[in-house]
Amino acid sequence: MEGENQAEKALILIRSRICNPSYIFTPFSDSPESNYSKLKFIISNSVTEACNNSILLLGPRGCGKIAVLNLVLRDLLAEHPDMVSVIRLNGLLHSDDNCALKEIARQLCVEHQLLFSKMASFDDNSQFMISMLRECGLAHKTIIFVLDEFDLFAQGKQRLLYSLLDAMQSITSQAVVIGVSCRLDADQLLEKRVRSRFSHRKLLFLPPSKEELQRLLEHILSLPIDSSFSHDYAMEFNAKLHKIVGDCRFTEIVDTLSGSDSTVNHLLKFLFRAVCCMDLDFGFLTLENFKTAILSIQRQPKLECLQDCSVLELYILVCMKRLEDKEQNSYNFNSVMKEYKGIHDSYQTSDYYARNVCLRAFEHLLQRELICFTDNRGQSQSVEFRPVKLLISSHELYPGLKSNRSCPLAY
Amino acid sequence: MDKEGTPPIPKRTTRSSSSITPSKNAAKPPKTSDPYPPSTLNDLIFGQPISLDSLLSNFPGRRIQILELLRLLGPPNSPLLPLFIYGGSSTGKTSIVLQIFRHLNRPFVYSSCRTCYNPRILFESTLNQLLLHRRKVVNGYSSAKRCERPADFVNYLREALNDVLTNLKGHLRKSSSEKLEERGNGRMIYLIFDNVELVREWDKSSGITHLLFELYDILKMPEVGLIFISSTSPDTYYSSAGVVEPIPVLFPDYTEDVLCQIFMRNQANPKLYSSFLDVILRPFCRITRRVDELSTAFSPLFKKYCEPLSDLGVVPSEDMKRRLFCHLQPHIAASLNEIFKFESQPSLEAEANKEKFTRKCNMRKVEGGEAFDEMDFHISTSAKYLLISAFLASRNPATLDASLFDSTGGSDNRKRRRKSSGKSIEQKESAEQELLMKGPGSFPLERLLAIFQCITSVAEGSLEEDQQEDGGLGAEGGDIGLMSDVLLQLSTLCNANFISKGGSCPLEGSTRYRSTVGEEMALKNSIWCLRSLMAKPSFSIVHSYLTGTLQKLISRFENDCHILGNWLTESFDCYVIVQI
Repeated sequence: MEGENQAEKALILIRSRICNPSYIFTPFSDSPESNYSKLKFIISNSVTEACNNSILLLGPRGCGKIAVLNLVLRDLLAEHPDMVSVIRLNGLLHSDDNCALKEIARQLCVEHQLLFSKMASFDDNSQFMISMLRECGLAHKTIIFVLDEFDLFAQGKQRLLYSLLDAMQSITSQAVVIGVSCRLDADQLLEKRVRSRFSHRKLLFLPPSKEELQRLLEHILSLPIDSSFSHDYAMEFNAKLHKIVGDCRFTEIVDTLSGSDSTVNHLLKFLFRAVCCMDLDFGFLTLENFKTAILSIQRQPKLECLQDCSVLELYILVCMKRLEDKEQNSYNFNSVMKEYKGIHDSYQTSDYYARNVCLRAFEHLLQRELICFTDNRGQSQSVEFRPVKLLISSHELYPGLKSNRSCPLAY
Repeated sequence: MDKEGTPPIPKRTTRSSSSITPSKNAAKPPKTSDPYPPSTLNDLIFGQPISLDSLLSNFPGRRIQILELLRLLGPPNSPLLPLFIYGGSSTGKTSIVLQIFRHLNRPFVYSSCRTCYNPRILFESTLNQLLLHRRKVVNGYSSAKRCERPADFVNYLREALNDVLTNLKGHLRKSSSEKLEERGNGRMIYLIFDNVELVREWDKSSGITHLLFELYDILKMPEVGLIFISSTSPDTYYSSAGVVEPIPVLFPDYTEDVLCQIFMRNQANPKLYSSFLDVILRPFCRITRRVDELSTAFSPLFKKYCEPLSDLGVVPSEDMKRRLFCHLQPHIAASLNEIFKFESQPSLEAEANKEKFTRKCNMRKVEGGEAFDEMDFHISTSAKYLLISAFLASRNPATLDASLFDSTGGSDNRKRRRKSSGKSIEQKESAEQELLMKGPGSFPLERLLAIFQCITSVAEGSLEEDQQEDGGLGAEGGDIGLMSDVLLQLSTLCNANFISKGGSCPLEGSTRYRSTVGEEMALKNSIWCLRSLMAKPSFSIVHSYLTGTLQKLISRFENDCHILGNWLTESFDCYVIVQI
C-alpha cells in the first residue's frame, strides 16, 4: 500500500513538472550562451539604464520562447520590485487595434489601482497609454509589453505597433516591446514607418540538441532525494530510470521521436504519455511504457480512417480512384455511380446497392474527410452534382485496403 | 444551449446513450424544471458516481479506450495536457467521456459546438456553467456575461475559473473532516468541448480553432484540463501558423463482434435476438457500421422476424431458426436498399440539419403504411403543379419550351425534333453526361410561371381560358382557382428546400431558381398530376410530355420501382381509354 502511494505521488509530481514550462526550462538558464542570459542582459540593461528597447523572439512553436521570457520576467520582478510592470497581449485575442488598446488600458489600470472604464474610446485609451508611459518614465518604472503571436499584430494597418513604437521615441518614456512569433520573417511584415522605429534585435530559439534532450529527460523524470519520498524508493526509481535511459533501445526511440519533431513540446507530449502508462502497482517506469508511448504518438490518421470504412465506402473510394486514373479531371457523385455500376457489371460483385444507400455512404466519406468538394461555391447545388476530389493518395489507399479486415480480396 | 434555463447537467444524454442504454438514465437525479434549487458546485458534477465495472460493461468493446483515458486523466489533482478525442460518429466518444467523469466524480464543464453554434453562444454557455448561472424568467433568459470577443472570453474565463478553483479548495478543506467523497473529487476542473470540427466553418481565418487549441497555453492554469472531442482526425485542422497539437486518443469504429454485443444488450429474449443478428448483421455491416443507423434499420426487421411467432419468449430451435430465416429472407434485400429510405427524400440539407432530419424521418417511418405511389407528405395542389413545372424548367433547356407548350403547332415541332435528334445519339449521350455533371439548371421566375400557367390551364380544361392565357406571363391569372397565391406557394417551397434560390443573374438582375427535387420524387409527383389531369377529358401536349418524362424516368429507375411501373402501365391504359 505504501509503495502504491509513493508511486502515485511520483506520478503526480512528474505530471505537474511536465505541465509547468518554467520548471522545464530552468536547466537551460545557467550557461552564459543561453537565450535566457542574453534576454535577461538586454532587458535588465534597459531597466537599469532607463532606456527604450525592442526585441523579437523567433523560433518554431514549442521551443520555449514564452517560457524563457517568463523566467526572465519572474527573475527581473524579483530583482527590481516596483521598477517593472508587464503588459501581456496575444495576437490571437488582441489583433484588433481597438481591442488591444483597451486591454492595455485595462492591464495598466489593474497594475496601478486605477478605475478602468469599459466605455473609453480608442482615442481615450491611446491618450491614457501615452500619459501612463510618461508618468512611468518620470517614476523610473519600465513598462514591458509582451506581444505573443507578433505576426498577427502586423496584419492590417499596424496602428497599435506604430503608436507603441512611436511613443517610445521620446526620452521621457521608458518601455520595452518584446515580440514573440513563430514566423522567422516576422520583422519583414512590418510597414516602413513601423520598421524604422523598431530596433532589429532578434533572438533565435532552436530545438534542443541531442545532449540537451538527454539532460532534459533526466531533469524531468528523476525524483528528488529529499524528505518528500522515502529514500529507498527514490533511489530505486532513479536507478531504474538511469538504466532505461542508458539502454540503446531507448536511444533509438528518442531518435525516432526527434527525427519527426525535435521541439521540447513534442518531447513533453511523449513523456506525458509514457508517464501515464506507468503501472502504479509496480511503481516504476519501464522501457515498455516508452514503447507504447511512441506507438501512440506516431499515428497515421488516414490509414486509421480507411480501416473504419465499410465495404461500400471502400467501393466508392476505389471508384473515385479509378476515375482519377482515367484522368477525368472533374467528377461528382453521378459519375462515381456510373463507375460503380461499371465495376458491378464487369466483376459481378455481391455488393451492389441502391443509389440512395450509396449516397449515404458518400456522405459518410465526406464526414470522415476522406473526400471533399472541390470548391465551396455552389452551396445551392445538391450533393450529387457538386464536383468532388479524393483527399488520399494511392500510396495511402492501397495499404489501407490491405489492412482493412472486411475488404474483399479481389483487388 | 438549454433554453429552459435548467442546468444542462442532469439532462445530459447523447444519441447513443439514450437509444442503446435506457437503463442508465434511471440513475440520474430526478430533479429538473420548475423549482429551481440554488446552484451549487454540485451542478458541475454528473450525478451519482458509477463503478469502473459498470462503466466498462456499459460500453462493450471500448475497454482499451476507457482505460487509456483513465490513465491519461490520472489520479486526482494531477495536471493534464490537452486531450484530443476523435473517431467517427456514433462511436461513443461523448457518452464515454461524460460517463468517465461520472465515474471519477470530478467537476467539469461540457459545451458542444453543435448546440452552441457561434462563438458568442459557446463562450457564454461555458461561462454560465462555470459561474453557476441559470437562464430563467427572472433574469430574462440572459447570460451571466455578455461576451463576443475572444479577448473578453479569456478574461472572464480566467476570473470564473479562479473563483471555482478557490471554491473547490474551500470545499475540499471543509469536507475532509466529514466524508471526503461527498464533493467532487479533487481540485481540478475540466473543460470539455464537443464537436470541435464544426468550429472550422465558423470563420474563415480559423481564429477560434486556433484559440481553443492554444487556450491551455494562454490560460497557464495547471488546474484546468482541456478535452476536445471531434469526429475528424487531428490532421484535418490545418493552420498556416501551425498549432501545438493536443494529445490524440482514437476511438475506432465498432467491429462486427462488438456490434453484436451492443445490440444484444437489454434484449427481452436474447436467444431469439442473437439468432436474428446472426442472419442480419453481416450483410448490413458491409454498408455501414454505425450503431445509430443500424438500430433504426433493425427494429422493423426484427418485428418482421418475429411475425410468425405467437410467443416471443420462446427459445428458438434450429428448425425454427431456419423457418424464421426463410420468412425474413425476402425482406433483407429490400431493406438493405431501403436502409436509409429517408435519404431518397429530395431535401439534401446541410450536414448540420441532417440529424434532426433523420429523426423526423424515423418518426415518419414508424407511422409507416403509406402507399408507395403517394408522396409521403401533403402539399397543396398548386404547390404540386409548381413543383413539377420547376422540375421541367430545371431539367430542360429554355429553347425547348416553345415546342413543348405551344398549343398551336407543338406536336409537329416535336416530331421534327425527334427526327433530327435521332441522327446523333452521341450528341444525346454527351448531353446526358453533361446533365449528370452539372445537375439541374437554374431558371428565372417568369419561365417558371409560364410553364405553370400552361399546365394549370390544361388542368382547368377550359379552352377559352387556354387561349386567353396562352403566352401571358405572370401571376395575374387569379381567376384560376388553383393559383390562390403562386408567389406565396413558391416561397413556401423555397423554405422547404424543394426549390433553391440561386444568385441573381448578372445580366438580367433577377433572382434565379433551381429545382432540387430528385427524379424519384418528381416521378411520384408527376404521376399524381397525371392522374388528376386524366380525371378531366382534355387533350394537350402537356399530357404527352408528362408521360414522356415519366417513361424516361422509369427507364432509369427500372430496378427500383417495378411497383410504380405496374401502376403506371395501368394508368397508361386508362389514359388511352380517355383519349379514345
